[in-house]
Amino acid sequence: MANAQPSNNLPLAGVFAAANRLVESGLIVDWALGGALAAIYYVEPFTTYDADIFFIPRDQSLAAGIPSIFSCLQKEGWQVEGEHLVLHGFPVQFLAAAGLTEEAVREAESIDFEGTPAKVFRAEFIIAIAASLGRMKDKVRIQQLLTQAEVDKSYLADLLRRHKLELPML
Amino acid sequence: MKPDMRQKLAREPFAEKIRKVAQLIQLAKAFPRRPRRQLDNGNSR
Repeated sequence: MANAQPSNNLPLAGVFAAANRLVESGLIVDWALGGALAAIYYVEPFTTYDADIFFIPRDQSLAAGIPSIFSCLQKEGWQVEGEHLVLHGFPVQFLAAAGLTEEAVREAESIDFEGTPAKVFRAEFIIAIAASLGRMKDKVRIQQLLTQAEVDKSYLADLLRRHKLELPML
Repeated sequence: MKPDMRQKLAREPFAEKIRKVAQLIQLAKAFPRRPRRQLDNGNSR
C-alpha cells in the first residue's frame, strides 16, 4: 500500500517513480518537478508542504487526463485530499503544463534521485515562472536563485524576452 | 544566516536537502507559528 507507512523523509523517489509509470502507461507525455522543490534543487532548503509535478498531457481535452491520473494513482494506494494526491502523507499536485511551463518540462534537467530517473525545471525557467506570477514568495525565490544558483544569464534573458516577461524590482 | 553558509547549503546534494526539508516540515508541525493576534494578547498582559 502506498500510504501504509508514514516516513520521516519525503517520499520523493516514490513520487518520481509514479510519474515515470504514468509516462510508461501512456497517460502523460512527459513530466518534470517544478515549484518550491525544484527551486530547492538549486538553493538552500526551506519549508514547503507539497510537490508540484508539471506534466505534458496526452489527452488534449480541458480535463488534460487528470481524472485518469487520479484514478491510476488511487489504485496504487495514493489518497486524494482536495486538489492533491497524497503519498505517505505528502501532498503532490499534478499540473497540466502549457506555454512557459510546457517549455520548462521539455527543457528540464534530467537527474537521478536515489536511483530513480527524474527531471527538474532549469533554474532559468523557475525564475521566469516566478516572474510571471509576481507574488512576494516568487520575488524571494528569484532573489534566492540569482544569488545561490548558477544561472545562465543569456538563456534567462532570451527566455524572458520570448515570453514577454520582466524581472521584478528586488 | 551568513551568505556563505547559505551558499554551502545550496550546494549540498539534492537528496540531503530533501531530508532537511522533511526535518523543517516536522519542526513546523511540532512548533506551529501562533497568530500575531495571540502573541499581541500575550504581550499586553
